[in-house]
This record gives sequence, C-alpha cells and structure tokens, in this order.
Amino acid sequence: MEIEIISFGQITEFINNQKIEVDGITDTDAFSKYIENRFPALKNLKYKLALNKNIVQHNTEITNQATIAIMPPFSGG
Amino acid sequence: MSEKKIKNIFVNGPIAPAFIADSIAKHNSKTAIGGHSIFMGQVRKDEIDGKFVAAITYTAYEEVALEKMHQIREEIFEKYPLSCMHIYHSLGTVKAGEICLFVFASSVHRKPAILACSDVVDRLKVELPIWGKEIFEDETHQWKENI
Repeated sequence: MEIEIISFGQITEFINNQKIEVDGITDTDAFSKYIENRFPALKNLKYKLALNKNIVQHNTEITNQATIAIMPPFSGG
Repeated sequence: MSEKKIKNIFVNGPIAPAFIADSIAKHNSKTAIGGHSIFMGQVRKDEIDGKFVAAITYTAYEEVALEKMHQIREEIFEKYPLSCMHIYHSLGTVKAGEICLFVFASSVHRKPAILACSDVVDRLKVELPIWGKEIFEDETHQWKENI
C-alpha cells in the first residue's frame, strides 16, 4: 500500500514529504506506531495527523494512496 | 448556511494598517451596525536567552485551515447575532511590530461583536493548522508555541 506523507512546522526539519510503500498499516494508530519508530523525535511532540485533509480525532482506517499529514501543535495568531 | 463559499483568510506578509482602515471604512454603508470589535495580533519582539525575535514566518496547511475556519465561522454566526465578521491571518514573514492577525466583528449592539471577536481569536489559535517560526536577529530560529 502506498501512503503519501506530508509534514508541517518543526516536523519538516526531520521528516521530508515522501511516498512510502508499506504493508500491514491499516489504520492511523498503526501508522503512528510506525512513524514514531522511524522518527523517534516525534515521541516528544504532541503531534496530530490529518488523513486525506481531515484532522484525525480517533483511530481511522487508512486505504491505499492515502495522504497523511503530520502536524505539530498549532501556533497561529 | 452550508452552501456559503469558503473564504480565504490568508494574506501574504504583514497586514497593512491601510488595509485595516479601508476595511473599517467599507462598513459606513452598513448603517444597521452599532458596534465593531477589532482584534489585531502583532509580532512581539520577545527576548529569549538574550536574543530578540526579529520576525515570525508563518506556514499553514491551507486547505485544512480554511475548511476549519469556515466551520468556526458558521458556529460563531449561530452563537451570536452578528452583522458581519472578517478574519485575516498572515502567511510568510512578518517582522516584529507588524500585524499578523486581524479579526473584525460587527453587530447591532456591541456585546455580540465583542464576545464573537474574543471567541474566534481563542478558537483559531487552537484549531487552525498554522505554524509560526520565530526568527531571531542572528537568523537562528525556534518554533513558536501558543500558551
């Protein structure tokens, strides 16, 4: 399955926008585990995910060619 | 309400005082309005470990932010009897002392405008995917955190 990852804010400093080919990641909880494992710096951040432009509030199914945004705490204004 | 077009709130660079003045002037034909409430966010020259913030560079997940802002706007209009509300937020670099956020709410009597203005500022700081990167005078940076 192909997932497109995009990052924002300080997360852009250690995760580039990229497409990954993964098997066995079927929901956003599994994706979080995978990405924290690959980029341990994420564990110290209260990041949020957006799946196909919807901010993830609870564990959500991921389908092929999903776009997942990894977003650090918001700091607008 | 839901067929309302999604408005763009983003302005490239600082929000000019002349733009704000013009925005106020445009309301002189809306004579049912009796009260305006305006909030302006200004980039603060914070001192952190002996270094001063020279500017903030803002980025956003624009589509998601605009969709969320649309939702917030609808909820605010349901909550308060407003005549109108305008919101502008900078993207890109805004120097210390310049305006990066402009919220303008108007109503027949003052209270809904004041409450809506305050409410919308609180909500957009927490809910919109926007990030500020504080650039110091020596060109190092740190990522802004909202308290």
